[in-house]
Amino acid sequence: MAKFIPILFIFVPIISAVIIYLIKNKAITNIVFLTQIILIFLLGYYAYELSRDPSISIIILGGWNEKFAISLRNDTLSLLFVGLTIFMWTMVLFYTFKTNSKYHKYLFFLMFLEGIFLAFLQTNDLFNLFVFLELITVLITILLSFKKNGPSLKAAIYYLLLNTLGAMFFLIGIIILYYTYGSINMTYLAENISTHAQKPIIKFAYMMMIAGASVKAALFPLYTWLPRAHGVAYTSLSALLSGLLVKGGLYLFIRVHIYMFGYQTYQMTEVLFYIGAITALVGVVLALSQKDLKQVLAHHTISQVGIMMMGLSYGYGLSYYGGLFHLVNHALFKSLLFLCAGLIIYEYKTKKIYAIRGVFKSMPLTSIFLIIGMLAISGAPFFNGYVSKTLVKYSFKDVPLKMFLFTLINIGTVTSFLKFSQILFGDRVKLEKRKDSKQFISIITIGLLCIVIGLFYKELGMFIFNIDFSYVKLFDFRAWLDYLIYIAIGYVLYKYYISKDYKPIRQIREYQITFETANYLFIFYIAFLSLMMYYIL
Amino acid sequence: MNPILSFIVILIGIYGLAISKNIIKSVFCITIVEAGTILLFLNFGAYEGGLIPILTSLGLDVVDPLPQALMITTIVIGSTITSLALMLCIKIFHHYGSIEWKVIFKGDK
Repeated sequence: MAKFIPILFIFVPIISAVIIYLIKNKAITNIVFLTQIILIFLLGYYAYELSRDPSISIIILGGWNEKFAISLRNDTLSLLFVGLTIFMWTMVLFYTFKTNSKYHKYLFFLMFLEGIFLAFLQTNDLFNLFVFLELITVLITILLSFKKNGPSLKAAIYYLLLNTLGAMFFLIGIIILYYTYGSINMTYLAENISTHAQKPIIKFAYMMMIAGASVKAALFPLYTWLPRAHGVAYTSLSALLSGLLVKGGLYLFIRVHIYMFGYQTYQMTEVLFYIGAITALVGVVLALSQKDLKQVLAHHTISQVGIMMMGLSYGYGLSYYGGLFHLVNHALFKSLLFLCAGLIIYEYKTKKIYAIRGVFKSMPLTSIFLIIGMLAISGAPFFNGYVSKTLVKYSFKDVPLKMFLFTLINIGTVTSFLKFSQILFGDRVKLEKRKDSKQFISIITIGLLCIVIGLFYKELGMFIFNIDFSYVKLFDFRAWLDYLIYIAIGYVLYKYYISKDYKPIRQIREYQITFETANYLFIFYIAFLSLMMYYIL
Repeated sequence: MNPILSFIVILIGIYGLAISKNIIKSVFCITIVEAGTILLFLNFGAYEGGLIPILTSLGLDVVDPLPQALMITTIVIGSTITSLALMLCIKIFHHYGSIEWKVIFKGDK
């Protein structure tokens, strides 16, 4: 029976969503926790059975021929994502339950989104991948516009239109693949991709699919929807969007670029690496100029996606696994930062960094976990960010230009979190405390996991990826020195440049990319990719 | 029909997205891109003289039914997105009194 668990992953959250929506009762909303417990047990059982009998990894619906039928398939990558999804949803539900349990529609869409996202991760059919991609877009749009105020509606329509355009290009790629290979089954395509891979039309399809995934993953210059959407949403939704759902785009990228086409088919490693590096750099520069707590975190998501892309672009070895590991770690520390920032914004009733002071004395527990999140994202030793950032560096540690870019990104991250940490200092402020112990359950769990992963990464690497991570050393004098130097440079940069708020910084902050320009940029991005493919091949 | 024609339709849609200053026009341009995509797929599935793929023409020379089944799904998704976007347009009009991109993003950040 273990074979049919992937179907349950999809339908258990959806059924609980429907129950919440139909029976509008406050007590019945507790069913979300029951759902999460069931999902965790199912995942554990399924992973155990899968390790004993690999044949249950694929389930064919309807009993058709495997080549044509709709099927669900689980491998290490999708199970990693499934586990992360269930964990993140549990944490976010703990956080949001007390405030939002009276909004049945909000919980309905949230649980429905979980089911759809789990389906998106497990499907083995390209067209279903597209359908679930569009469903995720629609559901996030509804959740974004749930506040029904001006900024959230603006962000929602911007998000919807740009992501639909990206998904349409992904669909064009699928169409061309079907036309050439006669199948949209991903396993079949992965086995037979080399028969036509050098035809121009398949290169065109590959490019279209990468462009579509890039919009979802918010790579430069297509990131414009991300800060708007993540800045205005509810805190719980921001944590989910930044921590997990933006990785839907990266998941598409891994599936298409590494699993389906194979990273060696087209030598795109260098191009994708520099796209990632520029994304990370632009994200950091934008984050440095922001004055709003949530906007800083949202722009940092762009830069961290860039770092993941730098690792994933290699497609093999420790750098690739470092990218994957950074994806998990980023989900943890970014959601931790967002949840802590949400608590602070709720208490201080403002989002401006310069208006918030004295958090450490007024909210000691929150600020301890905020500091953990900040240390993790800036790559301090003993925290999970350090492990994955060191692993990402592995493949290009001897290339000066790439290391220079990576160091610049690190210094930028440290500087902007020095700016962020200014909210901790100052005198105690009198606040009305909200009594909600459930919120601290999620914050403490995520915060402790950040440290635990930072200490026991070797065991975790063996357990999940079956890869030896002992390249990373905790007591590496060089890494400690590097981190201290980054902090010193960052402090000088912050003290004498960023905090003065000179004109260039103001200009960067006030410059906004309109929807029309975003579309021009999309066309330019496709033109750039095609030019690169033309030159490389 | 030539696949180039459907690419021209798609390009017209993207050109419209890049120049239109009105949200409703942008929504229509997305619909045009989608129509071009659907045309492209139907184009690949069909050929001249092919019969309709229904039960009475079993064993005869029929066109590929899969693109048609998939494109119906795409049309449904497209109509969902169009209706959602138009609903958002109405809400935005109530809030800002305008549906111009420039007006609603004025004074942002």
